[in-house]
Amino acid sequence: MSAALRFNAMHFMPYVHLPEHHQEFKSTWVSFPNKYYDPERGHDLYERYLQELVLADRLGYDAIVVNEHHNTVYSMMATPNLIAAALVPQTKNARICVWGTPPNLMLPNRLAEEYAILDVMSKGRLEVAFPLGTGMEYWANPISPATARDRFKESLKIILQAWTQDGPTTHYGQFYTYRFLNPWPRPFQRPHPPCYIVGTGSPETIEIAAEYGFGYASVFVPQQRAYELNENLRRRAAHFGHTIRPDQLPLLTFVYVAETQEQAEREYIGHLEHFFSDYLRTTPQYLAPPGYLSVDQLKTRAAMADKLHGGFDFNAISSSFFVAVGTPDKVANQIGEWAAWMKTSHINCVMHIADMPHWKTVKNLTLFAEEVMPRLRAQADAGQRVAAE
Amino acid sequence: MGKFKRETYTIDGVETVVHSAGNGEPVVFFHGAGTVDGFDFAEPWTERFKVIVPYHPGFGESGDDASFTDLHDYVMHYLELFDQLGLDRFHLVGLSLGGYLAAKFASEHGHRVKKLALIAPAGLIDPQHPMLDILAVPGEEVPGLLVSNFDVLKKRLPEKPDLDFIGERYREATTVARLLWEHPADPKFMRYLHRIKMPTLILWGDEDKIIPVQQTETWRKFLPQADIKVYRGAGHLVHLEKPEVVNAIAMFLS
Repeated sequence: MSAALRFNAMHFMPYVHLPEHHQEFKSTWVSFPNKYYDPERGHDLYERYLQELVLADRLGYDAIVVNEHHNTVYSMMATPNLIAAALVPQTKNARICVWGTPPNLMLPNRLAEEYAILDVMSKGRLEVAFPLGTGMEYWANPISPATARDRFKESLKIILQAWTQDGPTTHYGQFYTYRFLNPWPRPFQRPHPPCYIVGTGSPETIEIAAEYGFGYASVFVPQQRAYELNENLRRRAAHFGHTIRPDQLPLLTFVYVAETQEQAEREYIGHLEHFFSDYLRTTPQYLAPPGYLSVDQLKTRAAMADKLHGGFDFNAISSSFFVAVGTPDKVANQIGEWAAWMKTSHINCVMHIADMPHWKTVKNLTLFAEEVMPRLRAQADAGQRVAAE
Repeated sequence: MGKFKRETYTIDGVETVVHSAGNGEPVVFFHGAGTVDGFDFAEPWTERFKVIVPYHPGFGESGDDASFTDLHDYVMHYLELFDQLGLDRFHLVGLSLGGYLAAKFASEHGHRVKKLALIAPAGLIDPQHPMLDILAVPGEEVPGLLVSNFDVLKKRLPEKPDLDFIGERYREATTVARLLWEHPADPKFMRYLHRIKMPTLILWGDEDKIIPVQQTETWRKFLPQADIKVYRGAGHLVHLEKPEVVNAIAMFLS
């Protein structure tokens, strides 16, 4: 673990006012009726969530993270660049991470432009990540899941060409034709903002990150899979002549800090259960539209899904995923151990989930910034001194 | 009754499996968007005809080709295959998506098709009686929508959840998605239907839950010369539910 530890505050901005009978719906994604979205309550939530991320900047988080999902209570950020644009003038130091818009769901030149605008507006604080998009996004958008991976690669190529080559250039591909690829503005950071691939660690997405030398922002993957993902990326990137730095491998962890272990669990576990049971509730069909996965991957995941019967179990969740809940000491020690094991210096903390109220979010953000970050930084400094002696 | 013989051809790099049986005038059968229903229903035809059942690329026993993104790719594939098989003129029978393909083939290469039989064909844009968007239906709900009498299909489905079966269906759905996800219908298809001049028979179950039987009226407008037979109490796989469908096609082709 390097001394330059970095802490992100990540927020999903869920719509929390689910109707009482929401469990009658097999999914809170894709087809969950949008008549249950109340714009007045949505307005209050945007106001509140933006304040929470602005607070993260004030409290000294190194970065704030937003992302994109469609047709769901899980996230009110169908276009996260709008959220990022609202955050830019309200924040001073935190890097703004849009992790991110699936390039397949936007014209590639336009995504290159929007990211460049955010980068210039924020004077170089933007970081971007490129997801393929969950299977659910392909039910909500008019793009074929069966050609998604090829389109994704082509989009990425166009965006990087737009950022790294002086325009106008041309692109004649399978999905897009550009006779004058010449976006104004260009990004503030040269050659371009730091880039990550987002995913669950499939060999295909690791290969793309490895080829470009990008970081990899994993989403909900079990600890062992996240570990293997990091190892695979380092190995495959080396094959392409890239060295992956520790800060390129963000470790996604759920965090809740309170005065005692008992209090932390009492204040948090209900929200975590609500998150897994309701906000992540979807169907196998929505998760894997035709062609989104290879047949082998589909069978592997179908076999795994068969084993995941039963209700929510906090111990099972927290032993298989990265979930740090407890006192500052406990949370700091746990994250320190994970970071060392994962060989990363980049901690991506989910600070709000499900229907967690504002006061808990503020408490969590504050205690983590004031009590956990200093402990982890001190641990890292001590480690550095030992290494140097 | 002839026994089907399995042969493999390589067509532009795609492994293509063809089952054939019987003697007489050749009859080609194009299966639909899935292959669970099988082709054993066609055995009675082998008494009078040489029955040729190819698996389309991306379905059943044939190989995959991800570059097939348009039904026209299948027309070109079959021109190649028929050349290799030495098939000049033949009868063509198509079911559902295979009916769409058969009608498209016949509208483009009518001189090669002696007679055309379409079983609940897809392909029409009929806003008053639209086809069910099968890609939007959860896989487990599809079998129940295919027939009125579930017993005819039940014996072809695994008794317990079966990963290989799920994988094979997902593969075929992927093939269909490549063709139809972004553009489920092609308005140009209907524009050229009038080129179909050969004798044509259209067969439909009146309880079809995938493609409404009312589409027969739209077919009648495009193909006024076609004979249309509707079978009561049968669903989309009318040829499995009503053996008289198989006989009617044999009579028509004779």
